[in-house]
Amino acid sequence: MRDSQAEGATIQRSSRTRAKKKKKNQLPQTALLLAAVAVVGILLSRTSAVLAVFWITGTAFGFILQRSRFCFTASMRDPSLTGSTSVTRAVLIAFALTSLGFWAIKYGAHLNGQPIPGQSYVVPISLATAIGAFMFGIGMVIAGGCASGTLMRVGEGFLMQVLSLVFFIIGSLWGAHDFGWWKLHFVLEGKAVFLPDVFGWIGAIIVQMLIIACFFVAAKKWEDRKKEA
Amino acid sequence: MAEVELDCMGEACPVPLIKAEKALEKMAIGDILIVQIDHSCAMKNVPEWARKEGHNVELDEVDDGEWEVVIEKMK
Repeated sequence: MRDSQAEGATIQRSSRTRAKKKKKNQLPQTALLLAAVAVVGILLSRTSAVLAVFWITGTAFGFILQRSRFCFTASMRDPSLTGSTSVTRAVLIAFALTSLGFWAIKYGAHLNGQPIPGQSYVVPISLATAIGAFMFGIGMVIAGGCASGTLMRVGEGFLMQVLSLVFFIIGSLWGAHDFGWWKLHFVLEGKAVFLPDVFGWIGAIIVQMLIIACFFVAAKKWEDRKKEA
Repeated sequence: MAEVELDCMGEACPVPLIKAEKALEKMAIGDILIVQIDHSCAMKNVPEWARKEGHNVELDEVDDGEWEVVIEKMK
């Protein structure tokens, strides 16, 4: 958002401006942190290579999340709150990219006659999915962030969301504790759909991309709607 | 030309935007609203919203992780 300051003349404001703190040079801290990340990575790789990969991808994911201000909450909330869909469209692009990537991994395994990875995540959908999603949506807007957003802002030092984190953990543990019951009584009532079984491998990715494209166009139209009015 | 300061320190994401929207409604054209925030998400969506509404917007990082969004009401 740095570029935003450059446009046009500066706004005249009274002299009550707060004294600006000089920007500190944070390069030494950055170097130290990078070194620490590397050391932990090396230590982890001694126990297990997978752990080290998790550590590195997790760190990279957090960095990208923080710098890009990627926010699933904003993607669902802003269209109705401000009419802006820029984050919504970013999320849709992310969905399209991951769909393509996972499709390639699964189709590749299928072509090579290997077992398709990640099939245990193809779970039944039912009304329970929609109700759960709706409750999660309400929760994340009140808490000021979804799971990843809350973690990121706790890392930034936003104290209010430490509270969110505490209850996020309590809720997750509680949910995990009772999940067996919910699975037996509600989740398994639904039907698991694996798109390639329905449309074929090529058809599945085309259908998925078309749906995402429709949402993208709808999001763009929603944002432009206010300008025309 | 009035200048209003809006303290939104410690308020999570949509709250600063809603408060800014309410405050701006009451103000006259040419007035300046200064929204003080320390939530990184609001640092993005408050300026974006205000710009889309057609106001002049400036963003100042006054301290590490603290920003002032200066909005000049244009319409």
